[in-house]
Amino acid sequence: MTSILEKIKKIDDLPTLPAVAMEALSLAHAPNVSISKLSEVIHKDPPLATKMLKMANSSFYKRGDKPVETIQRAITILGLSEIINITSSVSVLSTFTSKKGFIWESFWDHCVATAIVARTMARKIKMETQGREFVGGLLHDIGKIVLDYTARDDFQKALDLSITRDCPLYEAEQEILGTTHMEVGAFLAERWNLPDYLGDIIRWHHAPENAQFKPMTALISIADLLAKAKQLSYGGDKLSFVLADQAGWQVLIENRYLMDELDLERITFEMDSLAETVRDYIKSVSE
Amino acid sequence: MEPATQPSGIQMTGEQFLQLRDFIYEKSGIYFADSKKSLLENRLAFRLKAYNFTDYEKYYYLLKYDPQAAKELRALYDTITTNETSFFRSPPQIEAFAEKALPDVMARRQKAGEKSLRLWSAGCSTGEEAYTLGIVLKEVLKDSLREWDIKIYASDISEKALRSAKQATYNEYALRGVPTEVRQKYFKSENSQFVVTDEIRALVELQFLNFMDSARMQLMKGFDIIFCRNVLIYFDDAARKKIVSHLYDNLNPGGYLFIGHSESLHNITRAFKLVHFPGALGYKKE
Repeated sequence: MTSILEKIKKIDDLPTLPAVAMEALSLAHAPNVSISKLSEVIHKDPPLATKMLKMANSSFYKRGDKPVETIQRAITILGLSEIINITSSVSVLSTFTSKKGFIWESFWDHCVATAIVARTMARKIKMETQGREFVGGLLHDIGKIVLDYTARDDFQKALDLSITRDCPLYEAEQEILGTTHMEVGAFLAERWNLPDYLGDIIRWHHAPENAQFKPMTALISIADLLAKAKQLSYGGDKLSFVLADQAGWQVLIENRYLMDELDLERITFEMDSLAETVRDYIKSVSE
Repeated sequence: MEPATQPSGIQMTGEQFLQLRDFIYEKSGIYFADSKKSLLENRLAFRLKAYNFTDYEKYYYLLKYDPQAAKELRALYDTITTNETSFFRSPPQIEAFAEKALPDVMARRQKAGEKSLRLWSAGCSTGEEAYTLGIVLKEVLKDSLREWDIKIYASDISEKALRSAKQATYNEYALRGVPTEVRQKYFKSENSQFVVTDEIRALVELQFLNFMDSARMQLMKGFDIIFCRNVLIYFDDAARKKIVSHLYDNLNPGGYLFIGHSESLHNITRAFKLVHFPGALGYKKE
């Protein structure tokens, strides 16, 4: 029996990542990226440029009163890494949301929530991320989209099983599909030539101790759980957990982040309006 | 929660909200999230009125620097938690109890070959919480409830509240969070009042208890799950630490403590493991 993963590897019409997103993502690692270079990349895709301006003027990103009228101005105000984040997020999101059947509100809610929580946590533990945590949060579960795209019925069965058994979705996926969203997502990351750190997050967000980019992957694993605790989750992940017992938490401690100093109760309460923030973000991306 | 009408119309600025929020959190462990600004504003408006203050800044300075602040703090806690007790209060916590904590401790007990459970509604007031726990137990265990030796202790320092709890008779308002089928199953309607059924009342044992009575506190042993919601705020830091350390000792290993849905033990103890449930927090003794 060939596994779903083997089948997926042979599919020709998997969605492709827009060239602009790939360029923007690769710029994220290029030394001395200039504003004009990035602006040039974005202008290659006029609908993207329009969307970028809309976002820069949205409540989520807007700074100050003056409207942002040019991409250059948007980059100056929001900063290079933020623009690279928005570019890649918008491209990836539009790649998938335009495909029929991917109107999974709660799925995107979870991805955006994970991105926002990852950003919050990165600030709390003073991790230097250059905005990677946001893209990582948005894309960590990308394999689920591929599973839905290529094996919808079985993926649905896996979702149902994870709910009835009250187990993590990846366990149910393994049982029914013979693969997991992490494995499939990692394949897509490779096919799309996504940066290594993203491949790592996608592959290891449920076992960050195995990642190359350990602290970043650990951060996303924690954000993933916290988003679920705030009931911004997808499928059967109605879990309870002790954060301090998680592998990701240990990884962060080993990397000398001062986890014990965090007031986790307060952080959790502060996320009270997470659902609202998520809705605002999605509104500004999809408008 | 009953909507309070704001008597003053005085606006709380964003900065004043942050000052008061942080102050209240530090003093009581109760956290007002950003989304709760208007709630805090509405509630504190009554305190401003009591002093004829025209802005929240003055009230903040009173709390922070006035020698009478300790007294005012009690009034403030009363205002922010006023008679919030009702059946199935803070549903995510009740769900965490029913779907996660309870199955967990039951499995542990069964493994040890003991079909017994000890729950405690600590600071039970007029009994809604204790009876809610009883209803949930019956809903989860159904007929096998009979096979278990179960006691829900419900303690309070107010004799008056305990007398009321003993009546187990409630009005429509206390039942506002109760689904119709639960209402029909566990309450008898009498003169537009609702009386908890005998089956549930039999599970609950009411008793007078002062949390500062260390000797009595030490006698409370062997609990699997303790609810002590919005009680600790009424004590100062030293007393709170003492009470929580008692509660820790009162729990069996593997037992859970639930405090108010926006209360925190962060500045009180690290003895427990903080558990994230869907939409609620709990504390577990390892």
